[in-house]
Amino acid sequence: MSDDTPLPQGQVDTYLAALRKQLAGLPEEDVEEILRELRGHIAERTAESDSEQNGAAVEQILRELGTPEHIGSLYRADSLVAHARATFSPVLIIRTTIRWATKTTVGFVAFLTGLVGYALGAALIVCAVLKPLFPANIGLWIGRHGMLLGAGIPRPHGPELLGWWIIPYGLGVGGAFLLGTTVFLRWMLRFAPRASPRVTSPG
Amino acid sequence: MAENGLENWEAQIRKGWLEVAILATLWKGRLYGLEILRELEARSDLIIAEGTVYPVLTRLRKEGLIEGKWEESDSGHPRRYYKLTAVGKTRALALARHSQEFLSKIDALIQPLLKEQMR
Repeated sequence: MSDDTPLPQGQVDTYLAALRKQLAGLPEEDVEEILRELRGHIAERTAESDSEQNGAAVEQILRELGTPEHIGSLYRADSLVAHARATFSPVLIIRTTIRWATKTTVGFVAFLTGLVGYALGAALIVCAVLKPLFPANIGLWIGRHGMLLGAGIPRPHGPELLGWWIIPYGLGVGGAFLLGTTVFLRWMLRFAPRASPRVTSPG
Repeated sequence: MAENGLENWEAQIRKGWLEVAILATLWKGRLYGLEILRELEARSDLIIAEGTVYPVLTRLRKEGLIEGKWEESDSGHPRRYYKLTAVGKTRALALARHSQEFLSKIDALIQPLLKEQMR
């Protein structure tokens, strides 16, 4: 064995460390269990192989196991979709939808719809919050040139229609947009493929 | 291009069947990961990367279809033994019936192509 060949245990540790990085975001106890199981697999496969060529054998075993990126992505995909289906956290839902959007057209459409929904909701809430600070510049104007809802700088001509009502309306409708988008995306995620598509049982 | 299409198709098929195949290997009794792998390697073409089995085992466990129990082996490595739960047994049976029905229909569908080729 030449000097620059890493020791087998070093190779295994490097592999598992790379996998651990891939599993970031999963519950810590899950990560430990996953690594423990794979470490056992590697150890057992190594023990039964020719001990003379341990280094080469470990390399072969790790290759047959698959790259940390591949295995990690399988664990992550299962975990992400499972979590996102059960959560109301927009961050997790959006993160999962983004991953899905890179894979299928349906995922991409769901992602765009979600983005628009969240953006509208957030914008309305921001309007409501800013109204007390900039009473003259936040509002709803309908004039010859069309409609403006939000911040008009400088203040647009014509009558402003909502007045202070923009606060309850902004919060209410904005909140409804956020909630509606979340419910919609959660529903859409039922159609997102997991790492391994399930064969559904009849009935 | 055509070659690539065939590979993609095979990869999809493997993913889809892996879950059924794993449940089937556990039908007769408990096994640990490497034993399940060996069964599948000996009796199916489903395994390309060995590591793909473990995420499926984790998912099946989280879905309550199988349960795992850690045990120390004589060789000193801990092994996680898996066995079917009651729900898992029901699911495995349903999947087996469903698979058989599914495969016999596909088989009937592709028979004419194969006969054509033999002439």
